[in-house]
Amino acid sequence: MPPMSGDNPNKTYWRSLDDLAETPEARALIEQEFPGGAWDRLDRASRRQFLKVMGASLALAGMAGCRWPKEQIVPYAYRPEGRTPGQPQRYATAMDLDGVATGLLVTSYDGRPIKIEGNPNHPFSLGAAGPIHQASILDLYDPDRSRTVVRREAGQEIKQGWDPFDAFANELFSELRKQNGKGLAVLSEAISSPSLVEMRQRLAKTMPEAKWYEYEPVSWDNEREGTKLAFGAAYRPHYRFDKAEIILCLDADPFMTHPAALRYARDFANGRRAHSGKMNRLYAVESVFSVTGAMADHRLRLRSDHVQALAIDLEIDLTRRGAMGLRSVQNARKEAAPNDARKPVSNFVNALAEDLVRTNGKSLVLAGQRQPASVHERVHQINAALKNIGRTVTYSTDGQADRPSHMSMITALAEDIRRGAITTLVILGGNPVFDAPADVGLADALKQVKTSIHLSLYDDETSVACSWHVPRAHYLESWSDARAYDGTLTIVQPLIQPLYGGRTPVEMLSTVLDARREKAYDVVRRTLARIKPSKDPERAWRQTLHEGLVEGTRWPTQNPRVHPPKQKTLVPSTQPGESARHNSPEEIVFTQDHSVYDGRFANNGWLQEWPDPMTKLTWDNTATLSPATAQALGVATGDKINLTLSGRSLAMPVYVMPGLADGSVAVALGYGRTRCGRVGDGVGFDAYQLRTTKTPGFAIGAKIERLAQPGKYPLASTQDQHPITPVGQESKRRRLGKLILEADLSEYKANPDLFQHAAHHPPLESLWTEHKYGPHRWAMAIDLSACIGCGACALACQAENNVPVVGKQQVANGRVMHWIRVDRYFAGDTDSPRVVHQPVTCMHCENAPCEQVCPVAATVHDHEGLNVMVYNRCVGTRYCSNNCPFKVRRFNFFNYRTGMTDTQKMLMNPEVTVRSRGVMEKCSFCVQRILAVKVQARNDRRPIRDGEIVPACAQTCPTQAIVFGDLADEKSQVAKLQKDKRAYRMLAELNIKPRTAYLARLRNPNPELPGRDAEKNHGHS
Amino acid sequence: MGCFSADGIAAPVNPFVFPKWSNLAVKAAPPLLGAAATYAVAVFALAASPQTTDVGYQPDQPVPYSHRLHAGELGIDCRYCHNTVEIATHAALPPTQTCMNCHKHIRASSEKLLVVRESYGTGMPIEWVRIHDLPGYAYFNHSAHVRRGVGCVSCHGRIDKMDVVYQAEKLSMGWCLDCHRNPDPRLRPLEYVTKLAWIPEEDQLVLGKRLREEWRINPSEDCSTCHR
Repeated sequence: MPPMSGDNPNKTYWRSLDDLAETPEARALIEQEFPGGAWDRLDRASRRQFLKVMGASLALAGMAGCRWPKEQIVPYAYRPEGRTPGQPQRYATAMDLDGVATGLLVTSYDGRPIKIEGNPNHPFSLGAAGPIHQASILDLYDPDRSRTVVRREAGQEIKQGWDPFDAFANELFSELRKQNGKGLAVLSEAISSPSLVEMRQRLAKTMPEAKWYEYEPVSWDNEREGTKLAFGAAYRPHYRFDKAEIILCLDADPFMTHPAALRYARDFANGRRAHSGKMNRLYAVESVFSVTGAMADHRLRLRSDHVQALAIDLEIDLTRRGAMGLRSVQNARKEAAPNDARKPVSNFVNALAEDLVRTNGKSLVLAGQRQPASVHERVHQINAALKNIGRTVTYSTDGQADRPSHMSMITALAEDIRRGAITTLVILGGNPVFDAPADVGLADALKQVKTSIHLSLYDDETSVACSWHVPRAHYLESWSDARAYDGTLTIVQPLIQPLYGGRTPVEMLSTVLDARREKAYDVVRRTLARIKPSKDPERAWRQTLHEGLVEGTRWPTQNPRVHPPKQKTLVPSTQPGESARHNSPEEIVFTQDHSVYDGRFANNGWLQEWPDPMTKLTWDNTATLSPATAQALGVATGDKINLTLSGRSLAMPVYVMPGLADGSVAVALGYGRTRCGRVGDGVGFDAYQLRTTKTPGFAIGAKIERLAQPGKYPLASTQDQHPITPVGQESKRRRLGKLILEADLSEYKANPDLFQHAAHHPPLESLWTEHKYGPHRWAMAIDLSACIGCGACALACQAENNVPVVGKQQVANGRVMHWIRVDRYFAGDTDSPRVVHQPVTCMHCENAPCEQVCPVAATVHDHEGLNVMVYNRCVGTRYCSNNCPFKVRRFNFFNYRTGMTDTQKMLMNPEVTVRSRGVMEKCSFCVQRILAVKVQARNDRRPIRDGEIVPACAQTCPTQAIVFGDLADEKSQVAKLQKDKRAYRMLAELNIKPRTAYLARLRNPNPELPGRDAEKNHGHS
Repeated sequence: MGCFSADGIAAPVNPFVFPKWSNLAVKAAPPLLGAAATYAVAVFALAASPQTTDVGYQPDQPVPYSHRLHAGELGIDCRYCHNTVEIATHAALPPTQTCMNCHKHIRASSEKLLVVRESYGTGMPIEWVRIHDLPGYAYFNHSAHVRRGVGCVSCHGRIDKMDVVYQAEKLSMGWCLDCHRNPDPRLRPLEYVTKLAWIPEEDQLVLGKRLREEWRINPSEDCSTCHR
């Protein structure tokens, strides 16, 4: 059990509670880099599970013998114009999630899409793509996707072709059309597609009695409902982080879970680089530790149910300062006796209010998706009072202003079914049986519907409850359209014919509307012609496909007037300060998962194995508690607890996470799937069982009991793995060169050279002859001030470099294969620590320790400074990894590609070797991308332009924290950054000369508030 | 100490005396060493033999297409069919369309062209057998070589004299490196890259050196150049 409070004086930065307490487990990970041998003890059942995760169909490889196999070359009979066989091509398309499109560019090799990147022209991608966007390509090739229409009747399951379904559907819907759609209902996911919206309107016209419902389990619907309260109608708020100097996030994570997160993160990070000596300042108030919270200059942990009270406190304070003149403070708060427990909160609010008032018009307040509409209403009012509206917050029309909230619609659907008003239900995507709130009872209600048709990628939980399952085409196989967050019309174009058949929602709805079954392509073209008429439609269409979007189709900006606030009582229901000390765990916070989203990506191995940015957990969700709450309950990480909420209960393992609000239990939604496929079935615990329509964000009054069980539930976290220790535990205490450097903006301004003297070492002499370099010296710079720790880089790398998925057991053994990892360091006290994220990948050291110990010269230096791995030479001694101070080398303990299906093989990047068992691998600085540009430039007899070579991690980074380039080119951005005053090299004292420089993290705390106190001595001891 | 005595009885193993089985080992050693040496020689000889490197590999092709006729006698430029060679990694095989550009008019009813016409009609590809086949972990880029004055003939031999194409060179790593270490004998002006029979008027080494310096050709011997 780690200590619950108090710093270990020897540790400024710690990776986890175990690390801080120096438990035997943490020490063992440092002493033994390749721990375990647990594989050898695996029983047969676990081994089977492992192979299943690998996607094993155990097809035997052909007896190829020693001769090379006879290979065929199959040229086109008719080569499409402009197509060069073997050359990658990129197409613009878009992914629609929660009714918001993110523009993407997808790389395709000879017709096989292999990599998703952001579309630089798209206003809500700006070239970046989040982890989910990038990993969605794995779903395309998922062998568990459904391939046939399935009819379920009287307990029987009949696989059918398309023809019987079409015959059935034609008859059914023509009958319904005759009856004006009486008894017909459509349940859709949130839609933004103008084509679907138009079809919905047509449905309302041709079948006036048909009903339409939309449901998303996880969304920012509350924000929208808040605008209804504040302005009397639904508007879509747009936050301008680039213009805001002071930002307050109330239980919000705009940089990770917001539909516009990529844009917001970019705008925010641009205000953190302190080029002009100015930085924005971020305050965060939240119950869970979010990615946004980790970036905050001041973070107040507060239970989600107390955030409203804090917002009221803030209103009162602003009113006192005359900033909010609309209400009078006439309540008890003034008389409230000063209370020690309340002090941190009142100080926080006080300093915050002062900052907000000072930066009138340049501040920004926003609330998160979990917070009820009433908090959002207050936030809009505060922004109005601070004159932020029109400056840092703008509003636009909402695409479907008349849409009720998702929660009310799913409730209405279940009620309508129970009333017997619905005989035919068409479910367009989604998985409502799994993810509808528990009190709706949708699964039971569905039994009353005579005909239910579920269009879905997988034959999932909802499909089995319906009478028909119809395979859906993946978005990379579909023609469609969608709206970006600001309404920009974005085209979804297919990269490949549907692999397993499959129809799109547009086609399905077309079946409902008339028997012709229009092609989605025609519908989308017609929609474009309607929205943006052109004299030359063919040219306009081609232009749109090329760009991926239609300029000038944003929703108009609106200037809604805030309704005068009603005379509500300004006495907070709960006093936030007291609650911060309150240890009874009674609040369950339902969080949107960073990996599986609402559960729909549960069968995606990349996402399951991608560590959560904050907890670093893979392959699971947990009941996440603060150290104090865990102590009060007498539980530790891995113990199981039972959560009971209004009669419903769920047993889950505990994960103790520093920085959580005491009394909050954070539970990620979307796990515990039972019918998603071989990867995701049975992974984690289904928190939807506790979620109700009344309390979709957080619920109070939970009962928590410890479950007596022998042993611990195994959790696979990557936070302790690959620890960087320069010289072992003992001397670490004396000689630890700082891996992370950070300072306050004021300190940095007072002494800009402070990072240059961080590491103390004698003059560095090399034992080796220094390498000679050719015309290029590739290098990287990573700005810790800009890195938000989202981990998109790790997924980009996985997709680009054919990095395998290894499964939970292997992750627990420390065998995760990611070439780039984001180290999460805590600093400060365990209750409320600060967090610094640090992406770590191969630094391509000029005096690389790995090269010095390889007995077979399998890792060598090239003339451009790359530390290259020669897989064919590697015999698997793993000496290199032992000697690597950064722990960035990964060993193939198994052939993780055993039994891949032919469809899965289509995903492999042909430019990168697929590694087999027994070889070491690591980051190559995306050597294939370097070479592609180099060859092109030399073919054209021109120099390589700066910024022309972009490795996958840097390409997708939402905040552009990673910069790659040529040090030999003095004008290159990377050369400039490496000379920046903030630049430092990790473990410089070892004289290994890493080619990657980090730029120290700057913070901009309010001098009025207590900030970092203990460690202000930046190595000058 | 004291683990052994003069009569050798007290200690079960005397560390200073070879155990008995070593007598047998001494006797067996010469033939074993001999066998190992033979094996090593055989392995290396086999690895370098034309059979292993597939020099002369000349599989049957689905169409009796003759490079000797087209490229040699008729003098069609390599790039008429392999038109991506200067811009792409692969010198792509031509689509059936390219064949039919001429053969719609010339020998339009020849029996030898049955497969080609069938492909043209059905849109199904012709399945050619690959001859020049590098291992999957070696990444070769045609454009990088052709645009730097390495002629087709350097790797593919006198295609213009082959009725059925065969592999003329070893295509082994050592063979690649020979040229990367010393490109001078194989560089030629760009206009002669596809002229298989071209012979320089001046000394090839003088020409090669001049071109290498003029174009600043500095072939890399780094592993990362071909392997990733």
